[in-house]
Amino acid sequence: MLQDLINAVALGSIYLLFALGMSLAWGTIGILNFAHGSIFMFSAFTAYLIVNAVKLPLVAVILIAAIAGAVMSVAVQVLAFEPILRRAKDSRAAEMQILIGGIGVAGVPLAIAQHYTKSNPFGFTNSSFKVDTFDLGGVRITSVQIIIIALALVLGVGIARWLQVSRHGLALRSIGVDPEVSSIMGVDRRRLALTTMTIAGALAGLAGALLTYNLGALTPESGETLILKAFAAIVVGGVGSMAGVVVGSYVLAIAETVVLTQTSGLWVDAVSFGLIFLVLMFRTQGLFGRREVRRT
Amino acid sequence: MTNFYDANLVLIQSTFVGLLMALSIQVPLRMGVFSFSGIGCYGVAAYGAAILTIRYETDPLVTILLSALVCGVLNLLLGMMVNRLGGLYLGMATVAFDMIVSVVATNGGDLTGGPTGLFGAITDITMTQVVVICGVVVVALALTERGRLGRRVDTVREDPELAAAMGIRVRDYRLASFVVSGVLGGAAGAVNSLLRSTVSPTDIGFSLVVLALTMIIIGGARSWLGALIGAVIFTWLPSVLEVVGQWQTIIYGVIVALAAVYVPRGLVGLATDGWRRLRRRQPADTVAVADDTTPDRELAALENLAQDTSMGRTS
Repeated sequence: MLQDLINAVALGSIYLLFALGMSLAWGTIGILNFAHGSIFMFSAFTAYLIVNAVKLPLVAVILIAAIAGAVMSVAVQVLAFEPILRRAKDSRAAEMQILIGGIGVAGVPLAIAQHYTKSNPFGFTNSSFKVDTFDLGGVRITSVQIIIIALALVLGVGIARWLQVSRHGLALRSIGVDPEVSSIMGVDRRRLALTTMTIAGALAGLAGALLTYNLGALTPESGETLILKAFAAIVVGGVGSMAGVVVGSYVLAIAETVVLTQTSGLWVDAVSFGLIFLVLMFRTQGLFGRREVRRT
Repeated sequence: MTNFYDANLVLIQSTFVGLLMALSIQVPLRMGVFSFSGIGCYGVAAYGAAILTIRYETDPLVTILLSALVCGVLNLLLGMMVNRLGGLYLGMATVAFDMIVSVVATNGGDLTGGPTGLFGAITDITMTQVVVICGVVVVALALTERGRLGRRVDTVREDPELAAAMGIRVRDYRLASFVVSGVLGGAAGAVNSLLRSTVSPTDIGFSLVVLALTMIIIGGARSWLGALIGAVIFTWLPSVLEVVGQWQTIIYGVIVALAAVYVPRGLVGLATDGWRRLRRRQPADTVAVADDTTPDRELAALENLAQDTSMGRTS
């Protein structure tokens, strides 16, 4: 029972690291990046290629993955999303084009990784870091799980505080409320958008490297599944709310663990979709979100 | 010609299924409803048709019609549930519905054949029947793109507040789009199961949502012609790209991304814009006259719309 709880918390922390960047970009600059899962996977893949050439410790591998994620995320923003936002006739059209553009972009790194790995899982077998397992009175936890949980909590709380307290955070939240007014007040929207995408990409890379360590290996397709799970976590918590995405990630992980341990079969995949559906039906704004007003 | 037909029969069949599937997403989009529930209906009907055929050996046309009707009702109920959502939220709620359908199919035990799916749904369905179904659907939808109904649909999409103010029942139009979407998605799923005689959970996953969406975005989201063009392109592209071997998925992704950025209104939109520009390239004096009349024409269109809607209420 306690073992299940620890596993659920570790799983939730992975969801959180992944969803945090997605939620940050969506809740502030309004970009729902469907290439996030692909960036997540390809950062881990980049680190894997480098680790294969040079024996590296855990910190270096994570750093490489985070940098790779940040670079890719900024590239997607500059090459795809910025032109879309410049050319789209209204925000609703832009929303949809960004969705499609993200889906298209996501296919490219996926295809490259599938090509090199022949769709087999890849892992950091050449890394100098070895996973330790601690036994605490019948409950087992690995060193990677401890790192994941600690990082998720530190980054989750840290980014939430940053958004609340710092001038940058204030500017970013003001874009989320009203982009035009915030521009008039002297917020450099383009620069802040790039900063946001950098952070989001780095978080995706971080999550990718850590999940690869945790599972031992990652499949090229794993990003696609995580995108839908992260979406569930964000919607459950409420778009734009950092506390929401933290709670949403753990709620999702615990619900999935309960279903996994209590039922036979493959029902666990239905949990995230069921949660999305239930929340949107009965509490559209999520647990922590603001209610949007729509008249028609 | 017959050689070509025989050699590519599977692709030709897939094009028609793809057309119906793309239309099931396009109809709600034309009303400004961002709903993917047509794909979930596709899944329900794909299994429903296979089960009916295997267990009760029903006639293919009866199977398809029954699947389409049941899915129309099912999607109407879903539409009533999610009607107050908008934009991406509606999109995601309906994607969640699609994915739940595929999870249920995976866990359905003997009824759905579990992860392996169902085999042996063999019927005497003919290509003529499929073509006739698609033809009827396309003609019916083409009629909704013209005249009064076409203008009302455009208004519901572009400016729901204006539409409501002019007496168009926005809610009814949106719910109607769910019914049509369900019927089309259901027909597509049933036709596909009967043509292939098999169905499995991997046939109705998230990739189908992406495929249908890319079809109408690349082809054009405003007209049935766009769905047809998209269906043709994305059914045949993989076999055309076989020339480049393993890199085809990369090129596929790049094409979709480029189209989303630079051709957001699809090939049909691009063609319409090009045609308008071509017509404008006439001597300067006629251009001036043409420019003068545009506001009037728009005004006239608005007046037409006002008349339409007031008539719609009195009649």
